[in-house]
Amino acid sequence: MLWMALFLPNLPLEREPAPTNLPCAVVNRRRGRRIVLACNTSAHAAGIETGIDAVTALAREPTLRLIERSPSREARALAGLANWALQFSAEVCLDASRWLLWMEVGGSTRYFGSLPALTGRIEESIAALGFTAHSGVAPTLEGAAILAREARSGIALDRPALLERLGPGELGLLALDPEVVAALRATGLRTIAEALALPAAALARRFGPEVPLYLRQLTGELPDPRPRHRAPDRYRRDHDCTCPIATVEGLLFPLRRLLQELEGFLRGRDLALQHLTVTLQHRGAARTMLHVRTSSPQREAVRLFALLRERLERTVLPEAVTGIRLAADELLAPAIRQGDFFDQDARPNEDWTVLLDRLRARLGETAVRRLGLADDHRPERAWVLDGTTADPPFSDDYPDRPLWFLEAKPIERLPALCGKPERIEAGWWAGEDSSRDYYLARTPEGARWWLYRDVRTSRWYLQGIWS
Amino acid sequence: MPSPESASPVVTVQQLLQELPHLWRGREHGTLITVRSSFEELDRTLPGGGWPLGTLVELVPHCDGIGELSLALPALKTITRAGRQIALVRPPYVPYAPAFRRADLPLGRLVWVAAANDHEGLWAAEQLLRGGAGAVLLWSTDADDRHLRRLQLAAESSQALAFIYRPLPSLRHASPAGLRMELEPRDGLLRLKVLKVRGGHPCEFLLSLPPGGNRQ
Repeated sequence: MLWMALFLPNLPLEREPAPTNLPCAVVNRRRGRRIVLACNTSAHAAGIETGIDAVTALAREPTLRLIERSPSREARALAGLANWALQFSAEVCLDASRWLLWMEVGGSTRYFGSLPALTGRIEESIAALGFTAHSGVAPTLEGAAILAREARSGIALDRPALLERLGPGELGLLALDPEVVAALRATGLRTIAEALALPAAALARRFGPEVPLYLRQLTGELPDPRPRHRAPDRYRRDHDCTCPIATVEGLLFPLRRLLQELEGFLRGRDLALQHLTVTLQHRGAARTMLHVRTSSPQREAVRLFALLRERLERTVLPEAVTGIRLAADELLAPAIRQGDFFDQDARPNEDWTVLLDRLRARLGETAVRRLGLADDHRPERAWVLDGTTADPPFSDDYPDRPLWFLEAKPIERLPALCGKPERIEAGWWAGEDSSRDYYLARTPEGARWWLYRDVRTSRWYLQGIWS
Repeated sequence: MPSPESASPVVTVQQLLQELPHLWRGREHGTLITVRSSFEELDRTLPGGGWPLGTLVELVPHCDGIGELSLALPALKTITRAGRQIALVRPPYVPYAPAFRRADLPLGRLVWVAAANDHEGLWAAEQLLRGGAGAVLLWSTDADDRHLRRLQLAAESSQALAFIYRPLPSLRHASPAGLRMELEPRDGLLRLKVLKVRGGHPCEFLLSLPPGGNRQ
């Protein structure tokens, strides 16, 4: 096993795509004081640093926006990111309290060419999502975590290399209770190598069994069986907006990231979707629901985004948006396998499908229609909307029918009839017994109509126009 | 004589033609791409021997139900045979699937775009032309000169059959369409009046359509 750990030092802030460029910082309450946990670049430029308290921070930058930390939202953002990570690896673990995400990369290396190619792709992709991430690669989860937290991308391909990298490291890098670290320091220990040299039994007696277990899992001496992140069967992603978003343009930014996450999730499971529901929450108004439907299974964020954008441009927000939910209940096999490569022959049809999806997004779901045939003698039942079945073979004895069809409309003045009637009787088995005589008629203006006389009531109806 | 490298304001006709694909060429009908209408008189009359592709064809029928759509069916069949898609945009009635099947059009290549208003219909037709449709048939009551020019440009950027059906009063205004025809029923026949045709001359003649309608 080879794990790549991603440490997200700004997760408390970046859990949602940059709400603003103005200086802002996330603060954490600790013993009655509010301490800066993370801040954006403009706050940093104003002299704000992690660890200072809110009062000092506000003194340095009076316009600083303070955001309360929300561990539950951090956990949700990290779970979303774990779904995204499934495109790179089938084995993903996370630890929301430590802002860490791991992927097993040993198995995926061959698929992506080489380890640097894979880690490069991952780093590029996470940066595109708007997260700051430090990475580390090591044969153990905790080893990779330490290499990532060192804020240098460290790579240790095997246990000896890992021990060599970790050995001189400072004790504070270990993911141990600060009190345990302080106690170890008090005994005169300085480096990780020294801590690793202590007998396990003695450590267990002094600090409890977790400490030697952690150290032995860190070095790979003991296995680290950790629950893997499991992709849900349906997709749900809730996103809270710290600052309510009042404009459609403002929504595009978070939506793009959410769709990129969704794409990663779908790629990881080799799935796609045809229906995505985007729910926008408002504080004082009923939520706004947007449906994106595609005619073939899709998973590309760019395409879904374009469709959603069409939808949004025709949506009036009743009020600012406080939360966004993406939901897809039905996940399907993708229409096109092998990523985005498809042969030239398939391309025009694919473009056509994309075009029709765009029309649907703008004109409405039911505006773009496909016609189909139904096996019924009654003219009004002989066709269906959105027929997807194959056409019956063309046959010459197919009855002549008008190109335009109308809901049967009673007519008062009968135009001149031409030729013999066609008797159509049907529906008796369905309790809709009907018997009609169909005629071709010619109006004084020269138009040709398709009329029928209901044999029982002798009433005349217009049902078609020969165009 | 200026060297070829110097920034010369002189632009060759070839350059212009390359940069502005919508520029009309005097001898354009010489390289006209057409699809046979399968009506002999019509094919004989139209430059290039059929319906022109890549230009707007404006049809103005006196009323519905005189064969205005049957006129296009053989060409539509040819286009679907070539594997291309056909769109009916904002038709005045429900396109009746059994009739299209009888005309031997594969329904899988036919799309009905039921736009809510004229404006959206025009928008959809333009998208479809630019998006690679094989034929776009649009019914529009409100299209003005600006819309028609947009459609004409979209048609020129395509290799599609682009039909627009408009009501009779629109004949009072000039049209940028490459081909414009008035359709009038006359004693059970269809009188076709070619009002404007790029690369040809106005003329008129009678067509006989099959009695019921649509068999070709």
